[in-house]
Amino acid sequence: MKIIKQTNWMQSRTFPLVLFVSYLLAIVAASLFTPHDPLEINMNDRLLEPSMEHLFGTDHLGRDLFSRILTGGQVTVGTGLLVLIIVLLIGVPLGMLSGFIGGRFDRYFMRIIDAFLAFPDFILAIVLSGILGPGMLNLILAIVVAKWGSYARLVRSTVLSEKEKDYVLMAVVNGLSTFQIIRKHLLPHVVGNVFVLATLDLGKIILMIASLSYIGLGAQPPTPEWGAMLNEGKPFFHSSPHLMVIPGIAIMCTVLISNVVGDILRDRFDVKG
Amino acid sequence: MLLLAVRHLHIYFRSKAIVKNIEFTIRQGEWFTLIGESGSGKSITAFAIGGLLPKEMSIAAGQILFDNKDITYLSNKEFQKLRGKEISYVFQDYQSSFTPFMKIGKQMDEMIQAHCSLTKKERREIAFQALEDVQLPAKRVYDSYPFQLSGGQLQRASIAMAIMLNPKLLIADEPTTALDSITAAHVLEVIANIKEKINCAVLFITHDLRQAKKYSNTIAVMKQGEIVETGTKESIIHRPCHPYTKLLLSAVPTINRFSSSTELDLILK
Repeated sequence: MKIIKQTNWMQSRTFPLVLFVSYLLAIVAASLFTPHDPLEINMNDRLLEPSMEHLFGTDHLGRDLFSRILTGGQVTVGTGLLVLIIVLLIGVPLGMLSGFIGGRFDRYFMRIIDAFLAFPDFILAIVLSGILGPGMLNLILAIVVAKWGSYARLVRSTVLSEKEKDYVLMAVVNGLSTFQIIRKHLLPHVVGNVFVLATLDLGKIILMIASLSYIGLGAQPPTPEWGAMLNEGKPFFHSSPHLMVIPGIAIMCTVLISNVVGDILRDRFDVKG
Repeated sequence: MLLLAVRHLHIYFRSKAIVKNIEFTIRQGEWFTLIGESGSGKSITAFAIGGLLPKEMSIAAGQILFDNKDITYLSNKEFQKLRGKEISYVFQDYQSSFTPFMKIGKQMDEMIQAHCSLTKKERREIAFQALEDVQLPAKRVYDSYPFQLSGGQLQRASIAMAIMLNPKLLIADEPTTALDSITAAHVLEVIANIKEKINCAVLFITHDLRQAKKYSNTIAVMKQGEIVETGTKESIIHRPCHPYTKLLLSAVPTINRFSSSTELDLILK
């Protein structure tokens, strides 16, 4: 058993997860080591090409692009993680409750979720943040509303099939409380599925944050956010393409990694569908 | 002394009566066997005693007295205190009576914690003692996951869990049906030994008269939701009154039955 574990450690479930989490933490932590102030305007150094002093060049206000990318990583990825955590905190307990209680409560609850999931999440998020107005807080709210339903539904379906099994009855028979049964005997069943969905979703959420910021609904200037930086670089694309290419690559890499790791985890955790 | 008294119990599934006017009593330390075909309402009766009836079913009339207390309409919270401590269950399906990803010991520990406030060491001792009582290697089983044990071991572990807190009533709902006959005999013996040791009453549910014969003090025969005949083991086996009981008795396969070669030939063909 031990030998198998050692030779296949790269194929274990935890390895890609650990790699992914450290990547995210690195992005968030990197903002502490910016070589320049990402908000410092220096009109003498406008639109510089990449050089040793400014690794990624400077933007139209002379701000160091490398520092802005690092700080933007914290804003974009950090916000994405925050959204994901809020979504999990809302979706997972509600899904468990709905699945465990069942009956009429479950029926009504599922209709509500159906209503949320009936709209494509992107459109729902755009509409909501359009109504709520621009700003990071509204953006977070809009994405949470668009996303929580799918988690509640996933958790509910797992709980629904597990709670019929005899070991749950056994736990009831042994005199355990409902809360204990949900937390200790049912929650671990959901963790795998939720992890996979969350990893795949993080890419989508980051893309959503960047897109909404790009059309001006999310982060407001001068906050360095990858999507907002794309928008700011748009007028200068012909003369200084790096203003758009570099944030674009940053977004692409993060989303791609999230998708690839999510796919790997899906295979490892053997999630169907 | 009377431990459990079920009086005129009626249980309905929506508007259909599935248990009709059941009446029996169990004395302290008695082995009471409820025997009957599938769907005769044996398990439902057992569920009703612990307040475990599914939502669609309800007790329409009657009374369940346990230890001189009316427990027919206890709240869920009060039942929670009773279950596992005073009344405990062993079920047929040993494969799923333990949560698959938790160690047996952890689950036993959790159960003791739910009922008594003891230190970690005391809880461990209780669990070890119970596992030894059912003739299992305590240390190994305590640190095992359910899938690491065989069927008979798992069923014995679930018995250990059921008797751990010295319940007054052990309800064994066809505990041997899913086991082969040698393991089944062993499991029955384990239950009988423990019954002697902690002096609990056993409500034993089965559809196999051979198992009822061995340890029972009293046997009640159930058919289509009604108890058709109750009596001591001897009277039921030797002097059955009801035609259904006679039918049950004649259905027991014995070696003698096949002694005539013609009958054997018929079966072999």
